[in-house]
Amino acid sequence: MKQKWMQLLLGLSTVASLVAPAGMANAATAPKVVLKVLYMNQAGYTTTVLRQMGKQFQKQYPNVTLQFTFLPYPQMHSAVLTSAAAPTAQYDVVLSDLIWTGEFASRGYTLPLNSYITQNVKNANQIPQSVWDGFKVGGKIMAMPFLANFQNFYYNKNLLKKAGFNAPPKTMAQWLHQMQVLKAKHIVQYPYEDSWMQAEGLVCDYVRTAGEFGNGNLFNAKGQPIMNQGPALKALQWMRQLYADGLANPNSLTADEPTAANAFASGQVAFNTNWTFLTGIMDTKSQSKVVGQGVVTTFPVAPGTNKTTHSADISGFQGLAIAANTPASLRPWAWKWIQFATSPAVQAQHLHSQWPVWSQIASSPKEKNLNKWAAVYQKNLNSVYNRPVIANYLQVSSIIQQYVHEAIAGTIPVKQAADEMVQQINQLKA
Amino acid sequence: MSVSVPVGQKPPHRRLLHRLFLALSGEYIWFYLLLIPSIVLLVCVVIIPMVFAFKMSLGNTTVVTVGGKGSIQSVWVGLQNYVNVLSNPYFWQAFRDTVYFSVVSLLIEVTAGVAMALLMNQQFFGRKVFRVIVFIPWAVPTVVNAMLWGMVFDGDNYGALNDLLLRMHWIQTPVIWLDPAPLFQGIPWLSSFISWLGGSVAMNSMIVGDEWRTLPIVAVLLLAGLQTIPHEYYEAAKVEGASAWRQFQAITVPLLGPILSIVLILRTMQLLRAFTLIFTLQQYGLPILSIEAYQQAFSFGNFGAGSAISFLIGILSLLIAVVYIKRLYKEEM
Repeated sequence: MKQKWMQLLLGLSTVASLVAPAGMANAATAPKVVLKVLYMNQAGYTTTVLRQMGKQFQKQYPNVTLQFTFLPYPQMHSAVLTSAAAPTAQYDVVLSDLIWTGEFASRGYTLPLNSYITQNVKNANQIPQSVWDGFKVGGKIMAMPFLANFQNFYYNKNLLKKAGFNAPPKTMAQWLHQMQVLKAKHIVQYPYEDSWMQAEGLVCDYVRTAGEFGNGNLFNAKGQPIMNQGPALKALQWMRQLYADGLANPNSLTADEPTAANAFASGQVAFNTNWTFLTGIMDTKSQSKVVGQGVVTTFPVAPGTNKTTHSADISGFQGLAIAANTPASLRPWAWKWIQFATSPAVQAQHLHSQWPVWSQIASSPKEKNLNKWAAVYQKNLNSVYNRPVIANYLQVSSIIQQYVHEAIAGTIPVKQAADEMVQQINQLKA
Repeated sequence: MSVSVPVGQKPPHRRLLHRLFLALSGEYIWFYLLLIPSIVLLVCVVIIPMVFAFKMSLGNTTVVTVGGKGSIQSVWVGLQNYVNVLSNPYFWQAFRDTVYFSVVSLLIEVTAGVAMALLMNQQFFGRKVFRVIVFIPWAVPTVVNAMLWGMVFDGDNYGALNDLLLRMHWIQTPVIWLDPAPLFQGIPWLSSFISWLGGSVAMNSMIVGDEWRTLPIVAVLLLAGLQTIPHEYYEAAKVEGASAWRQFQAITVPLLGPILSIVLILRTMQLLRAFTLIFTLQQYGLPILSIEAYQQAFSFGNFGAGSAISFLIGILSLLIAVVYIKRLYKEEM
């Protein structure tokens, strides 16, 4: 009861803070403003949800017109880049993936939001530190967290039962054993499928697997790449072993996340690690043959890994940022839209769509009612590793993608691939 | 120092001005006036961007935002970007893959395209309907075509092609059609040779997906060429007792030459900068030249290297076009 009152107060205070500077929002006196907003139409909040948010915002600020542009994720980075090249921004508010944080900060494509956040976001500590870390570089906060995406470990309980297992694997050794039994008993041809196509999704799986072996950081504290030692090397050996032993579907090497999700939803594989969207798919009759069979759980880990959550995960956080070439007169309005869209009150209205970035909303009874896996989600979110926040991340990622892909396929021995990966990344830094 | 001009002859600049005056005041005035809009358009959307891109390729060019204004900053490095690109082994790998993609595609287009055109040129029941059906793939947008082939080539059991082949018992396990694995792995020497040329399972799948869409337009263009060949030639050849193959060799091939050359020029240029299908299905997993250029420019923000690769693609296209055009004029003479 107390919690509900707290939520109500929080919601009211957020709405009040958004409406508070009424001088600016006064329809009669406020200047007409057109804000151009860039968002993706592939994952995260749907275009319909975004438009709904936009309508709500425009009710509060009738002088503001929001012009949305929706693009597929692979086109987002180039759109931000070309917009940044223009004297005046083509998009005033842009979606910022955490992997672009370092680049956007170093090249000044988006504005640091520290002053806006300090002044206007009173309950910033309600957003997990790991989420903030994805958008911070050198003390600058480059985006306001909007989307708390992360991966989950999915398994098919019916298939596991057939193999004689009543519980999901908790350790990497148990997971390997379960996959071997599933294959040996011919319950499935391939127990596992993942998105190992030569793309960013492969880096996500690689970082997460390294995390499952104890450390998902691919760079040490001195900023040196460490893919050829410790957990990162074990992760690569693990991925190769699953492929070579026929435990991972060979199609993984050409599969993206939706393809891997389809394999799980079709009942052809017993395990899949994927972003939260698979939770919805696996229990939707029109998209799944495993309705009621899919279970969401924490990731198996090597003994001693992450003693608080006993899981390891990878983040896919996204934030909203203001383009650095947005005219000064538009920036306060751009922030108003960001503050509105990322507010707990607005996120609480769309819990069916995405996991909120605000802890108090994520742990609310409403979320628990809507999402039976809420407790697991919370654990997984608390176990995330962020990919490196570095200026040339996309170049580093391209090297990682190439060598991890080749190591899994077996065209280069694992150790050699890891060594060459490190060598090339060092050359890049030089 | 003064340049001596023979008596009675105007200096070169005066001659040029005189010729310009004659051109603009004479009967060709309308010709030049009507050309102006096209020239302006061409300069604005082709020449200026090309010059700008070339300038970018000669610098360390990046996007920067200073004082709230975005701009492209370029630090002159001369030909360094070209040197870097040409000394990079990945460029040559991409070059090899691009050449394989283009040459195999062209071979299919020349053989299957001519065969389809010949078939469509015959008199048979439902010929008009057939011509319309053949043309449908060309109407499919490129991205839709890519998504469609993604479903066909899905490497799981339920991928359209795998499902079909499994049901027909032509394969025992699903084939990973988009895997950049070597072809003919059972015959090591052949497998190595094709890999050396740039061929792989994924590359051949890309070629099939691309040809499905573009072969019809090639066939229709060649059909237009076939229809310009007077029927009397074939009748005369028949009277002389020439076989169908001989008629094809002596009449069809030479007279189809000009249109075939034009089709080859257009298609070579298109193939060298092929992008959408491969990027949609493979992202950076099959880095042909255009994808390499895109990645450098729009992913890494290195517009200098991206522009340099684009210019190298352009020069390659130009060289090939010159060869075709020279051959075309030679044939016409």
